Formats: sequence, C-alpha cells, structure tokens
Amino acid sequence: MMSAAAPADRTAEILRTVEELLIEVVGDELTLTGPITLATSFNADLELESIEFVALAEKLQQHYAIDFVAWISGKQLDEIIQLTVGELVEYVATCQS
Amino acid sequence: MSVVAANGLGFHVQELGDLGDAGARGTPLVMLHGLLLGSLASWYFTAAPVLARARRVRLFDLRGHGRSELAATGYDLRTMAGDLAALTADLPGPIDLAGHSWGGLVALRFALTHPERVRRLAIVEGPLPPSRGAELTAFSGAIGTTDPGAPADPALPGRLLEALPAAVRELVASGRRQAERLVRSIYTLTTQTSLLADLRAEPDFDTAELATLDRPVLCAYGDRSACLDGGRRLAAALPDARLTILPGGHYLHLEAKDALIAALDAHFAEPAHG
Repeated sequence: MMSAAAPADRTAEILRTVEELLIEVVGDELTLTGPITLATSFNADLELESIEFVALAEKLQQHYAIDFVAWISGKQLDEIIQLTVGELVEYVATCQS
Repeated sequence: MSVVAANGLGFHVQELGDLGDAGARGTPLVMLHGLLLGSLASWYFTAAPVLARARRVRLFDLRGHGRSELAATGYDLRTMAGDLAALTADLPGPIDLAGHSWGGLVALRFALTHPERVRRLAIVEGPLPPSRGAELTAFSGAIGTTDPGAPADPALPGRLLEALPAAVRELVASGRRQAERLVRSIYTLTTQTSLLADLRAEPDFDTAELATLDRPVLCAYGDRSACLDGGRRLAAALPDARLTILPGGHYLHLEAKDALIAALDAHFAEPAHG
C-alpha cells in the first residue's frame, strides 16, 4: 500500500511516533476500538476534535521536518475530514526520503 | 502548544507560513473565529493554509474557546479587541485582519479604536446590530428567546447542535465524542460565563464612527444568511468597503470555502511593486 519511498520499518517507526503524539495530545480520552493502524481515520475512528488535530500537527512539525499546513492547503474539506493515519504517515515518510 | 499570556489569560496561538522569511513576506494577517462553535481550527483547516502560502498568518483561540483559557467575563467587543491588541502587539507596522461572525466584529472594533494598526480588514458574516449575534444563525430557536435571568436550561446545547446546518454539524460534531465535547464547551460558555449577557448588552456600532474608518474593508456575506442585512449596512456606512455576496449561509468558510479564500486572497494581496 505504501510507496517504494517508505520502507516498512520506516513506516512502522512513523506510525509509532504518530500514536505517541496522539496520546500526548488526547491522553486517556483517546477513542480506541483496537490498535491504531494505517487505515485508522482521525475523525470517524479516533473522533479527534479539530483543535486536537491542530495540536497533533504542531507536535509532528516539531518532531519531523514537515510543513503540515502546506500539505493540507492542497486538500478539500472532505479529504481532510476523511484523513487516515496512513496518509499522514506516508506524507511524513515522503518528507524524510 | 504555544500559549501566550495576555490580559490575565493564557491564549492558544498558532503561526502559519514561513516565519524564517517573515520580514520579506509583507503584511501579517491575523484571523479571528466565531463564538461557541468556533476555534482557531475554523480557519486552520479552511482558508488559513492557502492564505499562508503568500503571507504570515497568525491564528488564536478567543478567550474561553478552543485551547485558550476560560474567562468568566469579557466577551464584549471592547474587551476582546483588547485581547487582539495584546496578542498582536509584537507585530511591527499595520496588520491585516479577518474575522468570522463575532470575530469579524472584534476585528472591526479593533480597527475603529486603533486605525493606525490596521492596513486592511475583512469581515465575514458579522451580525449587526451585534446584540443580534445571540439570536441569529445556529442559535435561532435554541437560545434566542432564553431569558438571561432564567436558570440554566440543560437541553439548550443539544438544541443548539440540532439547529446547525447538516454540513456544519458533520464537521464540528460528527462523532459522539466530538459532539459531547462541543456540547460541554457550549454549555460552560452559555451558563457559567457572561458570554450571552455580553452579546445581548453589546451596543450597536455608531454609523458616524464607521464613517471614520478609511481602510479597505471586505464584507463577505452569504446569500442565504440572516446576517446579510448587516453586511449591506456595513458596506454602506464604511467609506472604503466592498460587499461580496457568496452562495451560502453563515458558515461561509465551510459552505463557500474556495470562493471565500479567493475573495480574501485578492483583498489582502500586496500591491505590486515596480
């Protein structure tokens, strides 16, 4: 599913970091019906508030050299609402390669 | 999280755009969100990322909203314009301002009080007179008739959510957790702070004072919005204002996102040099 630019171990590392930062932002209120996977969506599955997503983006930007705001500036509202952990991980991986 | 202390409260502030090159990127733009349903995320996930391609953009959560500290009082325009003044004091030179709903009126109040601090202004769906802000739009039928002296109505936040346009409800309260947290926030603001009383007590803008603001103002209103009459009045009273009517209701940043971004981007574009 991931592009060739993101090897599996790199993807797994970014996924773990996203999960850690999510817990930092949301704490034990995080809605979890199972492990966070690449298919998990921020809105429908994690039920993240938009202001919590801003906080997650800020932490990601501090952790990785990414420009989250520039990335979402090209997205439509429904794409942002349906955003999955996998799309974010792939974007971070792309910036690393 | 970036928290800035101002007027005795901690405010959540976000900076967008390439700050390393801020000096070369023209006039900074500060954007204000609307009350109760809004937070800086209202702009962060809609217009701000596109506008930040060409300029530095600063967003902050209004007092009592998003991740800013809850204040028991001070939701009137003068106090909130004071918050804006404190949170922009470090920006050199005149700034650009854009605000949605009550945030647009806060920006207007700031511009009338400190015209030397403002280059251009955009008011998106600001209700006039301001005291109608409590009755209009999403709150119609939910809190509009509530007696300010009456005891708190526990069913009020739920009615408020039901009164929202479906597209807006999907965005701000799509899942059970988001809806519960939003209801809790609205309930706190409407029953444990002076917010509603401040809205109802807000004096109308004086037409003679509006006539003194010689700054370019974009008034963006929805063709199906109950606030449209206010936009017409503002555009007539302000000496250098243009009314832009977009297809939609009160939540233009969601309902007419691309058209609103284009209007804001054109309004705030720096004049070409040489």
